[in-house]
Amino acid sequence: MTARILVVDDDVALAEMISIVLRGEGYVPIQAFDGKEALDLFPDAKPDLVLLDVMLPGLDGIQVCSAIREMSGVPVIMLTAKGDTTDVVRGLESGADDYVVKPFNPKELVARIRTRLRPTSASVARVIVVGDVTIDVPAHEVTRGESRVNLTPLEFELLVTLALKPEQVFTREMLLEQVWGYHYKADTRLVNVHVQRLRAKVEQDPDNPVIVQTIRGVGYRAGASVKAADEAP
Amino acid sequence: MMRALWRAFLQGLAAPVDIWRSSLLARTVTLTVGLSGLAVTLIGGYMSLTIADNLFAGRTDQILGETTRAATVAQTLFDNSVTAAGTIDVETANTTAQTAIRSAQSSPGGSGFALLRTPGQITNQTMTSTSTAGLDLSVVSSGLRAQVVGEPSQLHYQSVSLGAEAAVPGIVAAASLQVPSSGQYELYLVYDLSDVQTTLTEIQQTLIAGSLALVGAIGLVTFFVVRLTIDPIRRAARTAERLAQGFLEERLTESGEDVIAVLSRSFNRMAQSMESQIVRLANLSQVQQRFVSDVSHELRTPLTTIRLAGDVLFAQREGFSAENARTIELLLTQIERFEIMLTDLLEMSRYDAGAVALEVEETNVVPLIEDCLDQLGPLAREKGSELLVEVRGGYGESEVDQRRIRRIVLNFVGNAIDHGEGRPIVTYIDSNKEALAIAVRDWGMGMTEAQTQRVFDRFWRADPSRQRTTGGTGLGLAIAQEDAVAHGGRIDVWSKEGEGTCFRLTIPRIPLDSWQVSPLPLPPESVEDNSGAATGALPQQAQP
Repeated sequence: MTARILVVDDDVALAEMISIVLRGEGYVPIQAFDGKEALDLFPDAKPDLVLLDVMLPGLDGIQVCSAIREMSGVPVIMLTAKGDTTDVVRGLESGADDYVVKPFNPKELVARIRTRLRPTSASVARVIVVGDVTIDVPAHEVTRGESRVNLTPLEFELLVTLALKPEQVFTREMLLEQVWGYHYKADTRLVNVHVQRLRAKVEQDPDNPVIVQTIRGVGYRAGASVKAADEAP
Repeated sequence: MMRALWRAFLQGLAAPVDIWRSSLLARTVTLTVGLSGLAVTLIGGYMSLTIADNLFAGRTDQILGETTRAATVAQTLFDNSVTAAGTIDVETANTTAQTAIRSAQSSPGGSGFALLRTPGQITNQTMTSTSTAGLDLSVVSSGLRAQVVGEPSQLHYQSVSLGAEAAVPGIVAAASLQVPSSGQYELYLVYDLSDVQTTLTEIQQTLIAGSLALVGAIGLVTFFVVRLTIDPIRRAARTAERLAQGFLEERLTESGEDVIAVLSRSFNRMAQSMESQIVRLANLSQVQQRFVSDVSHELRTPLTTIRLAGDVLFAQREGFSAENARTIELLLTQIERFEIMLTDLLEMSRYDAGAVALEVEETNVVPLIEDCLDQLGPLAREKGSELLVEVRGGYGESEVDQRRIRRIVLNFVGNAIDHGEGRPIVTYIDSNKEALAIAVRDWGMGMTEAQTQRVFDRFWRADPSRQRTTGGTGLGLAIAQEDAVAHGGRIDVWSKEGEGTCFRLTIPRIPLDSWQVSPLPLPPESVEDNSGAATGALPQQAQP
């Protein structure tokens, strides 16, 4: 359990303090003080998770997040000083999995990190078919026909959660609890933005979603499989 | 029926009355035309009367002159008809006199004469009374005859109406004659004044036509003159309206040196100075808002560091001495307080900057409120207050921003717990067609009227020395009020010293819809007895 965490914050004191907290929890923190440094460090450091401040000199957090997403699906948690709608949504749209609003307390931060690092539903040894998409849960692979669909761990988790119970409609609150690990009221925009990102990757036509369907006023549901769901042997 | 007619009448009246009230032009033109019409009527009437008088007076003089002449000629004829023997052939004289009279009655309109014997005389001879053929003798009134007989030496006349059907003005002039040996005779000359009347009518018609034309011309001139003077005013009004709408660069065109130009110049100067003032103030307030927002943001990063440090130390407090452990505890609680304050400040600055967007959701507020009460339950128990809910309506969903409504309710109930003196606190929920109301009532110390008026002021506290438990920042109610206003609603407060306080939130079911009446009275009276809430008064503590 020596997960490596890249801490990107231009405030040296805060970066160090976060590192202390992380070390106290048994993680290995790597510090970067601006966006460029973070991107330079990223390939060699191979972090298991990135804590990313939104307001950074030079490249801002949102640009850094997009750049990271081009390289990897590693979990990214944004540190934001603003609870403002536009900032949060922009951060999530650039690919961040979750966000924490400053000032946060260590418990909150560690809880967010734990959720993102916990082993995913890989324990379910099954192959699920939703619409024209095949999900190989143990292999963490999603394919449409012959081509592989690249999903971040969070997007994969979201898709599997929905696909495992195709008859059930998941409310946003249920998804927040099961995928993000929030046990109290949280920001439902997390769900909205990530469902959109997921659809952009798995749907043939994201405007008419088949795989992740919206049930108006309730939430989301996985679409029926084109052929009957076949159990893995 | 009558009422309907009256209403129709009033409605018919409404349009002109509206124009009268709204158009200065219409008012001025109407007034000018009315007044000049009145003046012209008076002057025209007077002129017409004077002209008629003069016309008739001139004719009367002429007629009287003729009458005198005719009477004199006739009298002379009669006198000269007496022969040397002293006899007279009255009938011959009569004929001669008639001819003479006829020739004397030369002016136009002379329509005949009559020579009548004064009745009641006894004389040697009697001359036959004669009159022009076709003359209706009834025009000679008995009154006139009496006058002639009474004063034979004088001339008399009387205005009469001639003609059987169409009344034609006429004059009958009279003189008396002494016919030798036949006694007194009366000479009546009848004149038809229709020519005078025709002239007069023509004059009057000309006068009326002229007056109408004059009044019309005055009306037209007024219309154009007023238009000419009103137009710049109208332009100024329009420009002022545009300025009021926020188009601060709007100006009037300045031309010439007249009073209008002076108005335009002063107006533009005023607009100029207003614009610069407004721009200056707007900049100032923007700078101030930005400052508050920037400060809050900038404080967040160091505060996060402090917070993390505090937490790390707090987690290890067992290893410290009691003093140090307590120090860390204090540090941590104060950091939390600081954090809440910062959040409130930021929220307030967001409202001040107008950068607030509601995130509405169809919500049943009852579970939302119960959730809030659950959250405050431990604190209330600590203070000894029981939290009760009385749901009267509120069924069905309303479109609200849950986070903000939650914040308002937490604030209300938190305040009630702080000031409730350990007595029960009742939250009432009710709704009507348009609006939703949530009221929180405590039976605590209450506030004076002066205090009540200040509750929404920022950083204001009813009693600064009082111990606070909910960690209020003094911004809670100010923010709550802004939250309510953002929904298109408002917060009302009722309080009486020693009787408690009630805050009531009323918001429309759909944000920013209009609403008239809050579904809950202020303060609400408890209607249910079974929940342990006594009517109006303090609810009894539920028995364990």
